[in-house]
Amino acid sequence: MKTVDEINQRIKDGDAVVVTAAEMTRIVREDGAEKAAEEIDVVTTGTFGAMCSSGVFINFGHTDPPIKMTKTYLNGVEAYSGLAAVDAYLGATQPNRSPDIGLAYGGAHIIEDLIRGEEVELVAEAYGTDCYPLTELKTQITLDKLNQAIMVNPRNCYQNYAAATNSTEETLYTYMGTLLPQMGNVTYSSAGELSPLLNDPYFQTIGLGTRIFLCGAEGYIIGEGTQHSTESERKNGVPVSPSGTLMLKGDLKDMDSEYVRGATMPKYGPTLYVGAGIPIPVLNEDIALRTGISDEDIGCRIMDYGVPRRSRPPVKETNYQELRSGVIELEGQDVPTSSLSSYKKALEIAEELKAWIDKGKFLLTNPVEMLPSTGQSVNPLEIRRPFILVKDLKSKKLILAYPTDDISHVAKKMVQNNINHLPVVDDKHKLLGIVTSWDIANAVAKGKNKLMDVMTKKVIIAREDEPADVIARRLDKHEISGLPIIDKDNRVKGMITAEDISRLIVDGPDDEEEGD
Amino acid sequence: MKAWLEFSPKKVNKAIISDLMRDYDISFNIHRADITPKGGKMLVEISGNQSKEGVEFLEREGIHVSPIKRVVKKDEEKCVDCGACVSLCPVKAISNTEDWTIEVDDQICIGCDFCTSSCPTRAIKVTK
Ligand code: SF4
Ligand code: SF4
Repeated sequence: MKTVDEINQRIKDGDAVVVTAAEMTRIVREDGAEKAAEEIDVVTTGTFGAMCSSGVFINFGHTDPPIKMTKTYLNGVEAYSGLAAVDAYLGATQPNRSPDIGLAYGGAHIIEDLIRGEEVELVAEAYGTDCYPLTELKTQITLDKLNQAIMVNPRNCYQNYAAATNSTEETLYTYMGTLLPQMGNVTYSSAGELSPLLNDPYFQTIGLGTRIFLCGAEGYIIGEGTQHSTESERKNGVPVSPSGTLMLKGDLKDMDSEYVRGATMPKYGPTLYVGAGIPIPVLNEDIALRTGISDEDIGCRIMDYGVPRRSRPPVKETNYQELRSGVIELEGQDVPTSSLSSYKKALEIAEELKAWIDKGKFLLTNPVEMLPSTGQSVNPLEIRRPFILVKDLKSKKLILAYPTDDISHVAKKMVQNNINHLPVVDDKHKLLGIVTSWDIANAVAKGKNKLMDVMTKKVIIAREDEPADVIARRLDKHEISGLPIIDKDNRVKGMITAEDISRLIVDGPDDEEEGD
Repeated sequence: MKAWLEFSPKKVNKAIISDLMRDYDISFNIHRADITPKGGKMLVEISGNQSKEGVEFLEREGIHVSPIKRVVKKDEEKCVDCGACVSLCPVKAISNTEDWTIEVDDQICIGCDFCTSSCPTRAIKVTK
């Protein structure tokens, strides 16, 4: 048994033994936890991953004449200004207000630019008061001129996270990166055995007030993060799905651009790569054992992001050793894997923090309060408007065509029923393709007369049990106006059009009993 | 050697490629093909002892051969070595070294641009 104060004394005397979490895994494996607990004083962890829930509180300073800023923009990115006169919070994921720039340069990029010491344009608007008469301003700022720029990240350092794949026929662009169709790849984000909260899975040493490495500066844990949860299933002592989180704070002025990076997840949005490293004092054998965890012992579930619902089905349970090997077997196929967080940087951070402690520059802290370690779960947000599924929509009379149909016959059918899309089916009503009035016009022009030759075989569909909002997004994404609805046996049940959905959004479903 | 072959519609149906493989003992790997009735473009990897003669043969047959040099480049300053690009590369041109640095091999790259559009820091570029 050691205490944090004893370890700090050894750090000051230059006698402390500090190792990274990766080194500790080897040490515990070779020498056992008992010996490791005697010999090792501190284990340093590290992670460098995309952490959307990050941002910076800024105080710009007062102008003459003064202004009470109600809207502020930094290089075109809005910072929230519903605070005191010249305070604002710049969130990492805020896109640029210029549609031409949009997701390419957002809040996270501004944070990086400020840390790099670059000049950033500030535009502010105000309504004007007796004490704050100025109503607008435009000027340039740099980090060193700001009174404060304090990074406060409501949720960082997730204790484990799911890995992602995509079973659909199309590429998906998600916060888990680009997911190729037909389970073409798997992405994962945790730093595994280096990750802070996987090395202290029961929050025995990490708590409110713990001093940490944050983006190259000394920072602090200021409590549990948002969505902190403790009730996930565990394997080898560590949760196999997203669990604990941390709220972190650090001074932007002391940060190093090596350990923080503005980024954009393609077609998803801006996000901030945050480098964090947390020291774990090895106070006893149990803590030594926990910090000895290896990639192989840390479970991870691969989820199908092709299902755009809150609870996605797990495809496979794996571990970080397998994920990090670069290939994983899924349904009989070898699928390449990608990490989204940088293992190289995570190692660098653990090494850097180790060097700080070795040099006596960084002392450990006793937490002021421990993090909640039981009874925390994440509640969903229920949408008051009832959840409408495709099958709840009133379907119109089903009009179908068969592959052997004559073009002129089909054309007549479309005109008579005033429709633009017609699903083509076999005799059991199973979907074979779709024709649009445009296909028909084209066929007539080219002198084709069998439907089989002009129909589109690759059809984008709606399934009966999908929510209407998901279909709205699908119509929008593919710039099409209608989809066939099919049941689980691939039989066509109806057509859904953009019009049906917008009517629904305006009127609400027919069976709605209460107003809102 | 990696090159784009461009040919006119008249050539599409001619058995040039099989002649090439037979007469010059060349192995031929097609990475991308974009063939329409108006002619076509193919990105190929040509290897074998007589590749030079083989290319001359293609030129004589009226196929325009443009060799590719240095297709892909990674800005080491911008790259954070995350590895998001690794699993997207269809030809496994991207891999990690022992110390988890991400490396791109432009000898293998076919310039598909998959990695470039998916890199979170826009660190990787293909020059054509
Ligand atoms: S995705 Fe971009 S930043 Fe990440 S390793 Fe590849 S090139 Fe580097
Ligand atoms: S451009 Fe395509 S082939 Fe080249 S490295 Fe990127 S993903 Fe691989």
